[in-house]
Amino acid sequence: MEKEKSWGDWIRELDDPAKTREKPEALDHITVLDVSYANMAGCFCTSTLAEFGANVIRIEPPDGDPARTFSPWGYMHMGTGLGYLNEGRNKHHVTLNLESEEGQEIFRKLAKRADVVVETFLPGTMDAWGIGYRQLKELNPRLIYCALYTYGQFGPKAACGKADVDVVDQAYSGVVSVSGEPPEDPQNPKPSEVPTKQGNWMGWYAGGAWAAVAILAALHYRVQSGKGQFIDVSPAEAYGRCINYGINYYYGFKDTIPRVGNYDVGVFPYTYFKCKDGFAFLSGFADPNWKALCTIINRPDLQQQFPTIFERLNVDNMKIMYKEIEKWTMTHTYDEIFDAVMDYNKNIGQGVVVPGRISSPMDTMKAENWWVRMALETIEDPHYGQVTIANHAHKMTETPPRVKWICRPVGADNYYVYAKMLGYGPKRLEELKEKGIL
Amino acid sequence: MAREDYFKWAESVFDPSKTFEKPEALADIKIVELCTLILGPSLPAYLSEFGATVFKVELPGMGDTMRSLTPFAKFFNGAALGWLKEARNKYHLAIDVRVEEGAELFKELVKRSDVVVENLRAGTMDKWGIGYRQLREINPRIIYIALNGFGQWGPYLERPSYDAIAQSESGEAWISGFPDKLPMKAGIWLADYYGGLVGAVGVLAALAHRDRTGRGQYIEYSQAENLMRAMDWTWLYQHFTGKGRERYGNRDVSICPADIVPSKDGEMVAIGAATDKQFQGLCQAMGKPEWAQDPRFATHLERLKEENAVELLAAIRQWAATKTCAELDQLASQYGFGAQKVSNGKDHFEDEHLRKRNFTYYVDDPIYGELYEEGIAPKLSETPGRIKWAGKPVGFDNEYVLKRYLGLKTKKIKYLKEKNIIGKWVDVPPGRKPPERWDGKSGILLA
Repeated sequence: MEKEKSWGDWIRELDDPAKTREKPEALDHITVLDVSYANMAGCFCTSTLAEFGANVIRIEPPDGDPARTFSPWGYMHMGTGLGYLNEGRNKHHVTLNLESEEGQEIFRKLAKRADVVVETFLPGTMDAWGIGYRQLKELNPRLIYCALYTYGQFGPKAACGKADVDVVDQAYSGVVSVSGEPPEDPQNPKPSEVPTKQGNWMGWYAGGAWAAVAILAALHYRVQSGKGQFIDVSPAEAYGRCINYGINYYYGFKDTIPRVGNYDVGVFPYTYFKCKDGFAFLSGFADPNWKALCTIINRPDLQQQFPTIFERLNVDNMKIMYKEIEKWTMTHTYDEIFDAVMDYNKNIGQGVVVPGRISSPMDTMKAENWWVRMALETIEDPHYGQVTIANHAHKMTETPPRVKWICRPVGADNYYVYAKMLGYGPKRLEELKEKGIL
Repeated sequence: MAREDYFKWAESVFDPSKTFEKPEALADIKIVELCTLILGPSLPAYLSEFGATVFKVELPGMGDTMRSLTPFAKFFNGAALGWLKEARNKYHLAIDVRVEEGAELFKELVKRSDVVVENLRAGTMDKWGIGYRQLREINPRIIYIALNGFGQWGPYLERPSYDAIAQSESGEAWISGFPDKLPMKAGIWLADYYGGLVGAVGVLAALAHRDRTGRGQYIEYSQAENLMRAMDWTWLYQHFTGKGRERYGNRDVSICPADIVPSKDGEMVAIGAATDKQFQGLCQAMGKPEWAQDPRFATHLERLKEENAVELLAAIRQWAATKTCAELDQLASQYGFGAQKVSNGKDHFEDEHLRKRNFTYYVDDPIYGELYEEGIAPKLSETPGRIKWAGKPVGFDNEYVLKRYLGLKTKKIKYLKEKNIIGKWVDVPPGRKPPERWDGKSGILLA
């Protein structure tokens, strides 16, 4: 009987995020200490672990992490900037002065019983405080300790002392060098015709994601071996690993990949076209797909003129094909283009052309799809009130990720965490606070 | 002294020259991949670096479309560079899973494996009888991840997708680039590579659950939704202010200063300071120590105000134009702010630091020859990542895998070949067959 259910209905019943809260969490046996400092790569890494259920203790200096001020034009919501607010997810927020000896002693006690430490200081800082991996592994050999820094923990540049900022990670990754518009007139390039970064903190997010992957791989290794380890993540390398080809192209052809704006040096057509009422993305690269596109726009001559990928990957030819395709898109609205392409895909279906709209995030926020799938969700945070967030994309049948609260004020969980982990009551906390330890 | 001591110690625990003396974190994990392009194939490639055994299953003949994808149609020793990087460490099989006997072989592989990764259109695997609905019956411990543009159900179900669609429909393209230009598509397949990466987080979280409970599970994954999760403060900003996030060029409007500016010698250099201390260092380097106390710049919240930010960034731009890239770099080291030249493939190739760290990775491949490529991102002290080989032509490892992992008899393998259930490469289009200079035996695993 089950067979009769369509695949979509069958799987939705099992993985619908509306049922997430009825299911267990994958990492609720794991305790993480996050001492990220002015660095969203560390914060995103531990958010991710917390969304999968880890008990994350977010340790800030007594006056809060400077990352709390990372916010567009300094916009603050109840004392916290929006970039940090978004990555405080499910974490318990405590304060601790790691520069004081007593603070270091408290941290050692916490680390003794933790599974994971994440930190983003300049390399050697934690070590000099006596709470680096070198010292902690003696107290807790099962500890997985992950340090994030642009230039890593070893290698000729590790001790350079330069700061880790997202824009720096993006620049070092190699991705910026191949992104952005080339000058129309090379003699007079415009200020906007330069290597260009992603608008979001893509270097830091890639760094945090790779750190999470590495930590989880290390956790799996620990299940059998009982051994912890030291993990060194450079957000620049993490993002650079996401590059199409850079090093092997240089090695093979003694040349670098040029910036070609919204073109792609390995795929054409695969770009944005102007249409009557905005912009449309269209593709048609592999031979059958190119034929499909030429059929849809009724230009079989183009297919004959540029029959193989060798013709289509010549940048001069790209410009010719682009203009010809644009003649068609300019006489249609986005919806007409979308319908024509989808109609072809459905009814003729030899080859596939993929259409899409360039959406502003405001339009994205208005599209029903993301709300139905709970990619976007408005939740009621116990402290910060109503907030709109993007959830992690995974819909899982057994242990889906989830957001329980978005953030906490500085030191909001001091009482709870220190009582639970170390048995400190209000009196002791007050003493520590007076001494500037908390 | 203590500091020098730290770096010496760190270098000794991570020493990449000892990589192959150490174990692998995922040595006990087998992954079956039925994927094309990048979103799907990158995920098992990442996990293969930590020791997972990956069976990449393609259709005989043409194989993965990605085998055609290379810049300006320039093939490297017969290999498409877009394909080569994510082909690493995998066993390359060609099985026609659309016919019953091929589907049976696929199921036999899954029976003995831990993870299935696929990126076909929603419902395709189910239709072929090798979807999660069927596979969980033969292997309840299986972790199955399906990655695509928009997921397995919902209003966009019928829509095909690519990396660029995810970049544009999420809003990521809209917030990238300069205000006077079109929204910018990243110069890389961002939603694919970053999609496979965060997909891997889900697989490993599921593995942690299985390590405790023995239960497998299904993971549905949309690459567009994944990019939305990475768009930092976008959604909160729109929620609270009702204003849309636009694009602001290379300037970061949420961290000030942070921008990319030209140096005296014509390089583009990223400069940033994320804390007051870093900013004070930058002020000193600029010869303007008094700015650190100036009410317009003294605190980050003041620096972020539009009029102050514009003034500060203009001053930094002016100053940077009087310094060479090397001078800016040296000043950043001395004063502790962030500065980095916009690096390209040549810079990475020549960078001793990145080589030392196995990011710029040398591979001596028996089929495709010597090459360098983007290698290992995170360094693990006990279980370091590694590349064992670069890639294989279509169906190259059929015999070895069917014999070693499924125990098939030589006769049966021959029969499967004759019936075209398994097969090898075609000569055209390029990118499928071994390189011209291949000697006909290197890289072949005895079966």
